[in-house]
Amino acid sequence: MSFPIYYFLFAYLVFLFFWGVFGLIALYHIIKFGFPNFFTFFGTFVFIGGAIILLSVSYNYIAQVDWNTEVSPFQGLLNVNTPFPVTYK
Amino acid sequence: MLSLNRLPNALPGEKVVKVLRRDFFIFFKRILFFILLAALPLGFFLAMASVYPILLDGPVSYPLIILAGSGYYLFIWLFFFFSFLDYYLDIWIITSVRIIDVSQEGFFSRKVNELTLNRVQDIESDIQGLWATIFKFGDVKVQTAAEIEDFEFQQVADPEGVKNIIMGLASKAREGQV
Repeated sequence: MSFPIYYFLFAYLVFLFFWGVFGLIALYHIIKFGFPNFFTFFGTFVFIGGAIILLSVSYNYIAQVDWNTEVSPFQGLLNVNTPFPVTYK
Repeated sequence: MLSLNRLPNALPGEKVVKVLRRDFFIFFKRILFFILLAALPLGFFLAMASVYPILLDGPVSYPLIILAGSGYYLFIWLFFFFSFLDYYLDIWIITSVRIIDVSQEGFFSRKVNELTLNRVQDIESDIQGLWATIFKFGDVKVQTAAEIEDFEFQQVADPEGVKNIIMGLASKAREGQV
């Protein structure tokens, strides 16, 4: 049995979805409850900027991978060859 | 957004005297912690490169390492921002009439306590620990005549100075000189 490794990409995208939701929750909190001053905007800017950088670097590496590669996780599992020779009398 | 010009339940003639947060050293410790977390995968990567270098070239292992690394760094970046929010959104506001304690407690949970200065009975400042002594931050506990729990300023800079400010304002409030 084998499957393409882009199945792992689906799990990563689910993670990204929830990460985005919590990121929006965090931005909501600082916009709603923070003072309208330099530090509030600077903190927000740093978070968004850092997130963009991390996502860009991630995309750069992910785009280089061939996600259609098949993987067989159970290959060889049912191989009955023993590590040592067995003789029957 | 919260504004010092539009305090909750603002009283006529009320003026903001001081706005306090936890001392910056508290947040600096968290920054160091997250730098350590960010450096951990690099150590793991170096160990893997020397012990199992084949994992870094595998058609399956390499993509999994990319996804795991990306997920890890995105997670700790978000976690760091939540840590910043926990530090930044907890504030104490001392006005000419009252003390306001604004505390962010998790998601969508914000607690605001107020104490009028004429109800202040006793104030205690407390500095404990090596770093607190060096950087002069600590707790200020305000005992009240009300039935509400005592106010506590946690890990604020110059707690002795804060105590003196509140004592001065409280005595003026009791004398009706607001």
